Amino acid sequence: MASISIKNMNISYNKGKSYVLKDMNLEIKDGEFCVFLGPSGCGKSTAMYSVAGLLHPTQGEIYFGDTLMTAVNEKGKDKVFIPPQERNIAMVFQEYALYPNMTVRKNLSFALETKKAPKAEIEKRVTAMSKMLGLDELLDRKPAQLSGGQRQRVALGRALVRDPQVFLLDEPLGNLDAKLRDQVRYELKKIQTQLGITTVYVTHDQTEAMTMADHIVLLNGGNIMQEGTPDDLYNRPNCMFVASFVGTPQINMINCKVEKGPNGLLFVSPEMILDVPSDIEESVNNYVGREVVLGLRPSELLMVPDGKGQINGDVESVEPLGDGFIVYFNVNGKMIVSKIAGGNTKIGNKLSVNIEPGKMHVFDAQTEKRIN
Amino acid sequence: MQNQSVIERSKEAQKAQTIKVKPKWRMTVLHILYYAIMVAFLVFFMLPFWGTIMTSFKSNAEVMTSTPIAPPTVWTLEGYASALEELGQPLLTSLLITLFGAAGSVFLGSICAYALSKFKFRFNNLLFIGLVAATYLPFQAILIPLVRTMESLNLYDNVWGLVLVHMVFGMPMCTVMMRGYYADVPDALIRQAMIDGNGTWQIYRKIVLPNTKIATVTVFVFQCTSIWNEMLFALVLGGYDSKPATIALNELAGTMAAEFNVQMAGSLILALPVLILYIFMGKYLISGQMSGAVTAS
Repeated sequence: MASISIKNMNISYNKGKSYVLKDMNLEIKDGEFCVFLGPSGCGKSTAMYSVAGLLHPTQGEIYFGDTLMTAVNEKGKDKVFIPPQERNIAMVFQEYALYPNMTVRKNLSFALETKKAPKAEIEKRVTAMSKMLGLDELLDRKPAQLSGGQRQRVALGRALVRDPQVFLLDEPLGNLDAKLRDQVRYELKKIQTQLGITTVYVTHDQTEAMTMADHIVLLNGGNIMQEGTPDDLYNRPNCMFVASFVGTPQINMINCKVEKGPNGLLFVSPEMILDVPSDIEESVNNYVGREVVLGLRPSELLMVPDGKGQINGDVESVEPLGDGFIVYFNVNGKMIVSKIAGGNTKIGNKLSVNIEPGKMHVFDAQTEKRIN
Repeated sequence: MQNQSVIERSKEAQKAQTIKVKPKWRMTVLHILYYAIMVAFLVFFMLPFWGTIMTSFKSNAEVMTSTPIAPPTVWTLEGYASALEELGQPLLTSLLITLFGAAGSVFLGSICAYALSKFKFRFNNLLFIGLVAATYLPFQAILIPLVRTMESLNLYDNVWGLVLVHMVFGMPMCTVMMRGYYADVPDALIRQAMIDGNGTWQIYRKIVLPNTKIATVTVFVFQCTSIWNEMLFALVLGGYDSKPATIALNELAGTMAAEFNVQMAGSLILALPVLILYIFMGKYLISGQMSGAVTAS
């Protein structure tokens, strides 16, 4: 196992006219489950391919532990480049990339045979891995004879059977149906915890990232927007992009002004007036008379008896979830989303909600950075 | 009067609503016409072949007294025996040149196609355009320098000289054909094989080649046919010792008297290997030619 360090990495496909990744610096701890999260085209797969050695960065260095794997000088020439086959990594691609000409058994053993591992050892590992992933019955089948979920498990098994120092997964659950995705997600996390292999996982699905990661790196436009634990990103997003990207349903963003009221500071928007909670008053003090954006997570809006909440509106749409509802309510023309656990809410009803204490996210309207 | 007009109008409405179906007799006439045209074409194309087969089983005397398409009154293999006597050694030479020439050009073409389809390097496209241009090169244009080069390499009138020439001149066509097939091999497979510890050559051998068997067979059959039937290089570069069967067949025409039964038997013997190849590899050829026509799922 190994930690991964990425230092000052730039990647450009057009000689520096534009960058797919800009000055990326990242430390992934040994044994950590790190997720590269971001929208399509943000550079997350590019970053992973660079770690794998499938791409040559334009600049920067990549270390596995203390071993330098990639180093590119200022002119864009490789100073050090260990090819992928010598990095002792395993990778799972979104399209699985199982070898169509080989049986499941051969797919699992192929990398070990290439490394010229002893036959008994190969047999032992393939048997153990096929048992672990429930592939024992499928060992003599070809990939074309397997279902999507089975192929996915073979791809995982093929990667894990090698005992790699780094495990890379590029949207591996993208082709699975919702039920199977939940199941494999759980299995994958369990296996990773058992084996303790440093793992980099690429996804655009924030639910996957939140449920699996020890460490999330959220990218946008080639820049790291924020990195930290799932809790950090959800509860303390450092900018509006992170706040909007993480969390389902999406966070409510309300443009408002900070003004002085008779009993303290107020957030004043055309649709509503809210008291500034005392815990964030100090941070917001400098913004009196200026525009800010208030972020309110749907799950942090608590339903209260009609008319007694800070935010009051008319219910326009209700999406039942089984164990609760997603309620869209109109507050003087602004649509607010709330995730409510129980109660009986119908279209046309009045809805009153309060903001859970300490859960207000305030952003500078100009810089979009977090204030509180 | 009024009733009658109503009936007429309803008949017209019915007629308008009914989908026009061609009457059965018209369909039958059209079918007969189609089949008649097809049979006419079949006869036109098969008649020479029929004549060749019939003549090959006649004695020389009967050839002189009968029409070529008439079946022999006495079936004999004397034409085949005489043809084989003349063609025996040249057939072996042709077989050698074809097998090694086709295998060599397919191998070279396959490696070039792998590089051109799966590696990004400078002038990749330019090289490919050059290769496509080479497939249109008229061989007559390079005959003189080619003969002089082969002479200086001591490969004139030499089987291996012909093998080399066919390998080199067949390579561009093989590259062009195989590049299309290799482009369909997903890049993820190549990347996965790299991650699994394989180098470029191992990926080619263990992943690309086994997954493009049909392409290899298709191109190999195509090359075999071209080389087996080839005459220009055979005539110019193959001297007496390395005379391929196409030249020997031409020599069967003789200078004094034409022995048509021997010539026809020789032609059939020469055509037989290619026919067998097509019969056995036909399904590969069709699937090979069709692959890539639709996007793979």
